[in-house]
Amino acid sequence: MRNRLRVLRAERSWSQGELADRLGVSRQTVNAIETGRYDPSLPLAFSIARLFDLAIEQVFEPEG
Amino acid sequence: MKPSSAGFHTGRDARNAGGFNRWMLAAAIAYVAATAALRWRAALPAISPALQWLLVGTALLFAVEATRRYVLYLRQADELLRRIQLEALGLGFAAGAVVALLYPLFELLGAPALGGRGIAVVLLLAWAAGSWLAARRYSGGT
Repeated sequence: MRNRLRVLRAERSWSQGELADRLGVSRQTVNAIETGRYDPSLPLAFSIARLFDLAIEQVFEPEG
Repeated sequence: MKPSSAGFHTGRDARNAGGFNRWMLAAAIAYVAATAALRWRAALPAISPALQWLLVGTALLFAVEATRRYVLYLRQADELLRRIQLEALGLGFAAGAVVALLYPLFELLGAPALGGRGIAVVLLLAWAAGSWLAARRYSGGT
């Protein structure tokens, strides 16, 4: 799954650690999602979308 | 804002991991003490049967508490950390099962006896290796 997390975070000038704290996850979780190594659970994906005030499909989209 | 989510642990994960590690250490020390006391009980008359039961019971209680802390750690863990631990436990369990089932065949061929403790050591080492491998897989890049 592709995502725009890195871009959205950069637009707000947040570090990975700051975003992780806002989401209640570890910094490595944010890093792994941004680099495509890990796809978040549905509740976390919704939390991310809600944090950026976007619909979930505006943050995540299936590959291919 | 001071980040509390360094590495794979959130602040809560770090606290839970600390609790587990402390009880694991206590269980290991109690286990070594109980093993030593039982092994040399003939030479140490001060170690009464009641004390022997107390030492073994203490080791068991500490191990049960360490297990409870680990389950708590997993239940409350960050979701990526839980994935890493699942992969690590899977590798540890698989390695332990393979060794437990296949090593007796090697013993029949003349390999030294491993015993239950040896299998437990293999399982724990594979668990640790699995943790390292899974953490490596999901980290890297910034």
